[in-house]
Parts: sequence; structure tokens; C-alpha cells
Amino acid sequence: MKQLIFILCIVVCFSSCKKIISIDTENAPPQIVIEAKINDRLIDQQIRITKTVGYTDASIYPTVSGATVSVSDSRGNNYVFRETAAGVYTNRMRGVYGVTYTMNVVAEGKTYTASSKMPNLVRMDSIGIISNTFFGNERKTTAAYLADPANETNFYRFTLNRNGINSNRIYVSNDRLTNGNKLRIQLYFNAEDDEDEDLLSGDKVAVEMEGIDSNVFDYWYALSSQSGRGPNQGTTPANPTSNISNDALGYFSVNTYQKITATVK
Amino acid sequence: MPIRYSLAIIFLFALNISVFAQNKFTLSGTIRDASSGETLIGATVRLTGSSSAATLTNAYGYFALTQAEGTYTLTISYTGYANQVKTIVLTKNLKINEELKAANDLAEVTVSGNNRRNENVKSAQMGLEKIDMQSLNSIPVLLGEKDVLKTIQLLPGVKSGGEGNTGFYVRGGAADQNLILLDEAVVYNSSHLLGFFSTFNADAIKDVSLYKGGMPAQYGGRLSSVLDVKMDDGNNKEFKFQGGIGLIASRLKAEGPIVKDKGSFMVSFRRTYIDLFLRASPDSSINGSTLNFYDINAKANYKIDDKNTIYISGYFGKDNIGVKDLFENNWGNVTTTFRLNHIFNSRLFSNTSLIYNNYNYTVQLLNDATNFKATSLVRDFNLKEDFQYFSNKHTLRFGLNVTQHRISPIDITTTQESQVNPLTQEKRYGLESAAYVSDEWAVTEKLNLLYGIRLAAFSLMGPGNFSTYDASGNVISTRNIASGKFYKNYLNLEPRFSVSYLFNEQNSVKASYNRNTQNIHILTNATSSSPTDQYVLSSNNIKPEIADQVALGYFKNLEENNYEFSGEIYYKWLQNQIDYKNAAQLLANSNVESELLYGVGRAYGLELFFKKKTGKLNGWIGYTLSRTERKFAELNNGNYFPSRQDRTHDVSVVGIYNMNKRWTFSSSFIYSTGNAVTFPAGKYTISGQTMYYYTQRNAGRMPYTMRLDLSATLEGKNKGKYQSSWTFGVYNALARKNPYSIEFINDPANPSKTVAEQTSLFGMIPSVTWNFKF
Repeated sequence: MKQLIFILCIVVCFSSCKKIISIDTENAPPQIVIEAKINDRLIDQQIRITKTVGYTDASIYPTVSGATVSVSDSRGNNYVFRETAAGVYTNRMRGVYGVTYTMNVVAEGKTYTASSKMPNLVRMDSIGIISNTFFGNERKTTAAYLADPANETNFYRFTLNRNGINSNRIYVSNDRLTNGNKLRIQLYFNAEDDEDEDLLSGDKVAVEMEGIDSNVFDYWYALSSQSGRGPNQGTTPANPTSNISNDALGYFSVNTYQKITATVK
Repeated sequence: MPIRYSLAIIFLFALNISVFAQNKFTLSGTIRDASSGETLIGATVRLTGSSSAATLTNAYGYFALTQAEGTYTLTISYTGYANQVKTIVLTKNLKINEELKAANDLAEVTVSGNNRRNENVKSAQMGLEKIDMQSLNSIPVLLGEKDVLKTIQLLPGVKSGGEGNTGFYVRGGAADQNLILLDEAVVYNSSHLLGFFSTFNADAIKDVSLYKGGMPAQYGGRLSSVLDVKMDDGNNKEFKFQGGIGLIASRLKAEGPIVKDKGSFMVSFRRTYIDLFLRASPDSSINGSTLNFYDINAKANYKIDDKNTIYISGYFGKDNIGVKDLFENNWGNVTTTFRLNHIFNSRLFSNTSLIYNNYNYTVQLLNDATNFKATSLVRDFNLKEDFQYFSNKHTLRFGLNVTQHRISPIDITTTQESQVNPLTQEKRYGLESAAYVSDEWAVTEKLNLLYGIRLAAFSLMGPGNFSTYDASGNVISTRNIASGKFYKNYLNLEPRFSVSYLFNEQNSVKASYNRNTQNIHILTNATSSSPTDQYVLSSNNIKPEIADQVALGYFKNLEENNYEFSGEIYYKWLQNQIDYKNAAQLLANSNVESELLYGVGRAYGLELFFKKKTGKLNGWIGYTLSRTERKFAELNNGNYFPSRQDRTHDVSVVGIYNMNKRWTFSSSFIYSTGNAVTFPAGKYTISGQTMYYYTQRNAGRMPYTMRLDLSATLEGKNKGKYQSSWTFGVYNALARKNPYSIEFINDPANPSKTVAEQTSLFGMIPSVTWNFKF
């Protein structure tokens, strides 16, 4: 009885329903997609090159092999990335705070370049589980805690994983309205299908935090504001502005990286 | 400077008509409803004799006709009222005050042919739609809440903002390009409950006019349309009450004389009750939640003497949405209009209006970590001075209008523990002034002209810091302007011209051209409007929006004006249109102007309208064929793309059947092409997620919308003064799943494939409303 009346009102007013429809759209020719990330740990840094497929095709993305991939930094170092798996180019290196890196990719006769600056390190202090009450229902969510430095503009990106499954929501934030404060960033889990989105006791959650530069923030922010990524939700969908030249899709991000895991009590 | 300019123009116009023949006299007066004393707007007053002339009463029921000395037959007619016929001997200037009896108050009135008017054919005015309050009450609507804004969406050239939504687009314009006036005051946000209901409580409304084109020169400030809503004055003969109880809201209205036949008042109140049910819940987190809106309309008038009448009217409305301990959001409009009608002499009528209006919203997050309260306000002070001069062939209108805008974009206050920093975004001040003159000229019996000019000046004023930006949005320079100093000025001349040519009393062609400019703009990059939409003024970065429209129409009446037919085509050019950069952050951003893109637009279309005005069965059929496009260098490779509201076909059919004295049935049917939307042309993977690749902007189409709504009204048995009625309605009687939004998901049956999932908002929704009057 608790929520019945409220639910009744909502249902009567918004008796919404969903159905699968067919849409009329063209299948675009394949475009190059570069996802390049270098973080502040000494690991095999990866640059992946794939291609788009048509809207009606199966989601199997062709890899691009035989590309020439290198990264140079503002201190004069050059790093050559070698193809270690189809379309995956790696180099064991570490990104240094405050240094600008430039990526150079030659694939299928075209040259793509991008640069990104490694921000200064901001540490995620901890993660926690907090509970909110929504119409009498207690709901547990994950939160990341950190202290934003006051003397610079910061951009953060988070990923949330529950029991090995990544949330499909995009979490990015900047400190435009929160500069210099202790932050608690709440991360609501969003599943791909309609499975239960509430955290349960015993769930294992993992939060990754990246300190990113402003171009990469714009890239993710554009995607997140097209939430639902369909017409009539959020802004008119468009390809996010990439920091890579020559109309490549994707981005080149040199970012800090940190991961904390916890178990829900 | 603009004033001197316009005075010169007025002088030129005045010269044109200042020469009058001798022995001409003026018949003037006010036309009212016999039972309530409400002034009748747009009633036809005709003098026939050795020569004949006709005019319409103005917004205050006033008219003046000048004719040569002689004996005339005076005929006053108004739709739904019995004609008043009198003999007038014009040997001096005469004043009359006539009252018409409503046709349904009379025992057996044969509505004769000459009771119906051919004003639609004759007048030079184009693109004007009048909403008949009688049919507004019969047309079925969502949850039985009769609504002005939903009714106008059933007219050709007006497109709905979405399912059950009161937002509207006129002839390819955007939602913020409609000038919405309530007793002359601008209503910035005309929606309640996220757009499902409008701020106009039909009980309090007397007259609704929508100009889709050919705007007369007294209106200005928005590109696409003028929706001029006028409130009831109140019954000046006896006290009356009316009200209703519906599923969503209840209404109560009281009116009566202040001094019989001299002054009256009207107060109307409406409130929703969903939250009263919430409050009944034993759960504290539910009963602490709010979800409501309310409206108060109030008006009073007093006739000081034969020459002076004062009016004061106001509107106050608010929406409240809140979940206990989580968030609160409220928004609302306030308008106050003080007016003085002054009759200098029988030919010169003036109205002075002092108007205050504001729109404000508050958003509050209540949890401790992100606790903040954000408020925003748009506030206007407006002075209007309007003159109407009636001569025998001309109705001259001229005046001045000065508006001071103050926009407080956002004010954020926070608690000590909150991680959000307090922020106050600089206020913006603007001064809009306009001078206009227009002349309605009956050149011959067949040729009518309505022409005029409006000089619109806009000044962005200090105090404030104003920045200019480079292409990537970085600040190039910032100037500090002191309080009261002008920073940026724009001057626009807006010519308005309409002409009609009558082949005969039943057939005419009309043409019009008009230019409109706009200096206050809404910034929103969401595809639907929200209470937190932000307003900005024209500035060093944002140039005034400009629209030029040409239209051509054919008007025909049949069967003694019982059937009206019209066909209009239009073409509109739009300049300095606004769109947004990728990843634009519009809220609480002092450099919001760096996030904007500027482009052009075009819109063209054909509108057909067929209407049966009286009889047991009446109603209309409207059809619109149209195209609306925008072009921005930075979007869609610099090519034209369809606007979201570009819907090729729009059909609406409204039928009202008065079966007998007790039962009235009505239905409305709509069909429209889906919105232009952007569909993915490909997909790729980033960080393990499926991303979509887009090629052309808005090249896709949502599925079409089709809906049939029905309603039936049962009038109670007449028990003297006391009347009541029941209205039963069914919204979406075909239970069709109309598209609201589309989301792309992995096919549940085959996860490697992508499918489109459509969400529909409303299924079949029944409603019942009980109304009373005494």
C-alpha cells in the first residue's frame, strides 16, 4: 500500500510503453576509429585501431592492421608502438605528469595526429557505498571520494564495475562549480539490459578514476549529454568532437589512472 | 533618436488622412454582452445609407465610424449573438453604448445569413486565427483539462511541441519565437507540469488571437507568432460563480459588479491535486513529496467617466515538484497589467499600459554532499502607449513601447558542508524600445490595405563584463561597462504590409510581407523544453534574430458565410539563428555565449483550412504541407538540415455535434509526419561500449503520429440560475502507440544486432469533469 497511490498516479498519467520499431537509415561506409590511452603507470600502453560497421550489421568491428603508430613527448622522447594483436598497438611506457604527448598514426595511407597533456595527479581517497531513499525504497550507490585541488582546472572520468560487468553510463565531471572542495561523486549503476540495477550485499564494485585533459572531457561530456543516445532524449546526437585529426573517430587520452575495489556490506 | 524618427513617420501618416470633407460626423461607442456587460472584441458595426461603412470593435469593445450627415441603418453583429439593428440620424457626433444578446439566451433565434460575417474574406489581415471560446470548451483534451495552447495546435501552420505538450511551433519558428501575451504582459514560460498543461486557465479567458504572419505593427519582439490572450473583465451586472472538478485540477471563478454597470471584477483559481493523494500516504518519504501547480487570474475594471476607464489585471502561477530530502524544483510566472483607456475625442482612442512581469525558477538539491539552491529570474518593466484614430476610410494606430529587461541567469547558494561552490552569474540588463505606426485603409470597397512600420531599438546595458571569444571559445577580450551605460545597440526597421482584394463578398485574395526581429533568446540544447531553460539578450556576440515572411492567400466563404475556406502559402527567411557547439555547457556558465553557433533558416509551406461555423454539426479540417530548415557552417558540413519540428504533413479534423439541448459530442483527429531526427548510420566500439556514428543531421524520421480524441458533454436539466454539466472524454481512443522517443539497444534476441526501441507516452486515457455555474 505504501507506494501504491503514488505509483497509480504515475501509471495513469504516464502509461508509457515500449516497442521495437524499424527505422530507415543509410549504412555509412567504414570509418577509422582510434582509441588511444596512455596512463601514468609503467604498463603496455595500448592504441586500438578499428573500423565502424553499418547500423544494420552485426556488432563485429574490423581491426586495422599494418599501421605505423608512434608517440612523442614534449621532452623529445619518441615511442614506437608495435602491433601485438590484430589492430592493437602497444609500447611499455609510463606517462609523466604535466608532459604533452603527440600521437602519430599512419593507417591505410592516411595520417592521423592528436595530442594530449597528462594532468597533475589527483588521488581518489576512497570509495564507499551510500544509501538514498527513493519513495520509501532504500537504494545503495557507489561513491568516489577525492579532494579537488583549488589551483587548477580538473577533469575526471570514472568507470564503475559491478561483479565484473561495466556500467554503461558515462561518468565525467569537471570542477567548474566545485573547485577546491572535497568531492563525493555518486556513481549510479546502469545495466545494459533491464536487469536489477540496485547494489546488493556481497556485490563487488570497482571504481576506476582517470584525470583527463579538457579535450577528452569534452569528448565524453558530449557523449554523456546524448544520454539514451536516441532522438528526443538529451541533445541532438552528433559525433563527439575528437582530438584526432583527419576525421578519425575516437580519442587520444593521456591520463592518470587509479582503481579501488570494495564489497557491498 | 528612435522617437524623433517615429514621430516624423507618424506625422507623415497623419498628413495622409488629416484632410476631411465637411459635414461628416462620428458615431462611436462601446459594444457589450447584454447579460454580463463584458465588452465584445471584434464585433462588426455597420452603417448603411446613402453611403455605407463598417468597422470592428477594438480590444476594449470600442468603435468609431465617420460618415456624411444623413440617416443610416446601424447593424451590430457578433458571432453567437443576435443582430442589433437601429436607425441612426447622423446630424452631429453621436455616442452609443449597445448591448447584444447571446443567441442561446433567446427563445427561438433564427440565425440569419447576414448575422454571419465575411470579415475573414474582407479584412487585409492574413495569418490570423481566432479561437472561439465556445468550441475550445467542447474540444477533447488530455485528462479533460481544456487548454488554449492545445487547441491552437489543431490549426494549420501550428505544430505541437510533442505528445500532450503545450509547446508549439508556428510556420517553422522555434518555441521561443512565439510572443505569448496575457493582457499585454509577456508570459515567458506558458507551461505547467513539464509542458503537459498550459498556464492559461480557460475559465478566465475571453479572447484568443494567434498571428502566424502579417503581424500588425503594434506587436513586436518575437519572430514567429503572436498569441494575444485577453482575460475576462468580469460581469458588471450581477454576481456569478462557476467552477469545475476534473481528474487533474479543480477550478473556481467568481465575478461581479464593483459598481453596477460601471465596474466589475473577476477572480479565477485553479489547482491540481495529485499531491493531496501523496499526502494521504502513511510513508513519510511519499507524503513529504510535492507535485502540483496552481494559477490565479484576477482582474478589475472601473469606468471613471465616459472618457476614462481603468483596468488592473494579474496572473500568478506556480509549479512545485519535490521529493522529500532529495530535491525541490519550482517555477512560475507573475504578470501585472495596469491600463488606462482614454477617449480624447470620439475618433481618438488611447490606451496606456504599465506592465510588470517575471518568470523565475528554483532548483534545490537537498542531500548533504551536493546541497545547493539555484535560482534564476527574468524580469520586465514595460510601458506601452497606444493610440487608435478612426476616420471614415482609415484606422490609424501608432504608439510607443519601452521595456526594461533584467535577467539573473543563475544564483547558487550552498551550505557549509556542500561540495558545490556558491556562484552568482552577472545580471544582464537590456532596454527594448519601439515606435510604430500602421494604417488600415479601405481604399475602395474591394481593396483593403493594412500597412505600417515598427522601429525596434535594443540596447544591452551595464553594469557588466562583456567578453568576445575566438572560434574555439576562448576569451579574446573583456570590457567592463558601468551601470546605466549603453554597451551594444541595435536598430531594426520592421516593415509590415498586407493587402486584400475582394472579387466579390465571398471571394478574395490577400498578400502580405512582414519583418520581425527578436532580442531575447532561449538557450536550450535539449530537444524538449524545460523550466530551467535559460534566457539571454542580444549582445556583442548574439545578433538580433530577424525573420522576413511573405504570404499569399485565397479566401472563400460559402452558403452565406457558414462555410469558410482559406488557402495560404508562405515563405520565411530567418537570420542569426542560434544553435550549440558539441558538448556545450549552458547552465551556470558565465561564458555561455562562447558555446553558441549562428546560422540561417528557411521555412515554407501551404496551409488549407475549411471550417463550418454554425449548425448542429460544426468544426474544421486543417492541412499543412511544410518544410523547415536551418543552416550552420559548423553543423552537417555546412548544409541545410531539417529542424526537429519539420513535419511534412499535418492534418487535423475537429467535429462538434450538438445533438440536442443536453448532449454535445465532439472529436478531434490528428495525423502528422514524425519529427526529423538523427539516426545512426553506423556503429563502433569505444571502451567496450557500442557507440553510434552519425552522418547527416536530422535526416531520419520518427514514425508518424495519429490520434483520435473523443468527448461528450451532458448539460444538466436547467434548474433556473443553476447550471451544471458533465464532460466525459477519451484521449487516444484508438489506443495507438505514438512515438515519444527512440533509443538504440542491442537486440534482445540477437545481441550482436542493434534495434530501435520506441517509447510511447500515453495509451488510451479516459477522463471525466464536472462543471457548474450559478
